[in-house]
This record gives sequence, structure tokens and C-alpha cells, in this order.
Amino acid sequence: MTRQEILNELKKVISPYTTNKEMLAQINEDTDLLKDLKINSANLVDIIIDAEAKYDIEIDYDEADKMMNVGSCIDVISEKIGQKQ
Amino acid sequence: MLSTGNDIVSLNAINVTRTKQPNFYSKILTPTETALHQQPCFANIPFEIFVWLLWSIKESAFKYLQRIDVDILFTPVKFEVSEVQIPSKFNLLNFNTAELKGTGFGGLNSIGATIKFGDYILYSNSLIYQEFVATVVNNNEDFGKTHWGIKRIESDDIEIQSVGVRAFLTKNLPDKNIIISKNPQGIPVLLKDDLELSIPISFSHHEYYVAYSFQLPV
Repeated sequence: MTRQEILNELKKVISPYTTNKEMLAQINEDTDLLKDLKINSANLVDIIIDAEAKYDIEIDYDEADKMMNVGSCIDVISEKIGQKQ
Repeated sequence: MLSTGNDIVSLNAINVTRTKQPNFYSKILTPTETALHQQPCFANIPFEIFVWLLWSIKESAFKYLQRIDVDILFTPVKFEVSEVQIPSKFNLLNFNTAELKGTGFGGLNSIGATIKFGDYILYSNSLIYQEFVATVVNNNEDFGKTHWGIKRIESDDIEIQSVGVRAFLTKNLPDKNIIISKNPQGIPVLLKDDLELSIPISFSHHEYYVAYSFQLPV
């Protein structure tokens, strides 16, 4: 998967947890999950679990703590997908 | 360096089924912490609330330390919670008031705990009601200079939460000429005559509940 393809799928994963749909439509690799998308931190684990299910990967929290912006989420997901292959 | 950290979790907003799943709670709790729930003192606290209690403690500790080191990342399993003290007659009550505020936690059915993160040792006090879990963290077991407040608001809109918690804190500050701002790292601060005060503050909001804490010098 390309980074753009992962980003497009990630949008769907994040969507239930943000009310800022305008910002979601414009997300890029610099978009911050908490500051820009106003996602409550209590939903961060939900996003990780949903991403795990979506890509059939396992993300431990040592890696998840880096997932603060969209670009770093794509880094972690991309690396995990690569390890599967 | 003086700091404070708080957190609130609305229990109406949590996914109970998901919280009980090992792949979910294992991202928050260590196996040692998970085993704590088997102790008799936790009999009146359902497991899903226990998970969010520990989340709330860990998040508050993270916010406390972020003011000291902005590069700290929030990895819940690296914040080790121990010595959780449940009051002997603990029961989950309804939050039958619009707001609650205090200085310290004396006389309240609060749950105390110790948090270790690297070389840091911190202490927490949490209040649990049917509706929410709220925590405040300090670097001292004495919370006598720790001020806090919890309030129910009418909307879960993020802007209304943000305005609501700031208005709630402003109302309870000793000096009305203080304004709330953010420092360049995005951490909330108090300003008076454009100068940052050495009174650390922390805000939290989740669904229909907002909370603040601030710490005065000992």
C-alpha cells in the first residue's frame, strides 16, 4: 500500500472519533490527532485497535505512543504491513 | 518545578464491551496492574471502571510531567500505578450536583495511588461516580495546596467544553485579573499583566463533564 492509500483508509478509521469533519476532509501527514482533529485522548486506544483490525496488524503501545500525527500513524502502519509480507 | 495534571473520563462515553477485551486493556494496564483488580478492596469497582480509573491516573501523571519535559510521550504501560488505596466503605454514587470543587481531598471518598515513571514518583487522588472518573496528580502526598473542580455542562461540543472549563476555573481563581493562555508548547498557563504566574493549571473534558486543577506553592 502507498502512503496515500494508507492515509485514505486511516481517514475512515479516525472518522468516528472526530467531530471536526472539515479538518478530517483536509488531513495531511502533519495533522495532529489531538490538537487539529480534537480527538479525545480517551479514544486513542480505540483508534489503535481499529487500525489493527483494519490492516490485520498488531501495534504495541511502545509504537503507538508515536502515533500523534497522521504521518507518524502512517509510518507505524506501513512498517507493520511491511513486516507481514 | 511546580506542576499539576488532571483528567476526567465520562463513563457514559466508554465502550464497556471493548474495555473488557484483553487487546484493549493490555494497551493501558501492565499484567501487574491488571492483577490488582482481583484484590477484595476492588469488589465494588467493575473491571471496566477500574481500567478507566488507571487510564485517568496515568493520563494525569503524563500531563503533570509534560509541563516539566515537553518531549515525554504518553505510553500508558510505562506509567506504573501501585499502592491503590480504596476507602473501606467505597460505593459508586450518583453525581447529584452540577459542580463540585475542593482544595485537597480530605473528607471525600477519594482513591489514592502512587505512580512511577522512570525516576519520577507521583501521587494521585481520584473521585469515581456513576457518571465519571476524575483524577488529580501531584508530586507530594499532601494535596493541601491542590485546587480542583468538576462540572457538568450542557453540551459535548468541543468548543463549549473548552470555554466551559476555562470559565469554571476563572470563577474559582482567587484573583479576577488573571487570564488563561497557552505557552508556546501548547500547555495552559495563567497570565497577569502579561506575565506568566507560577501557578500551574490543567484542564480536562470528556462528553458532558469538564474538570480543572491548579497547584499553589507549599
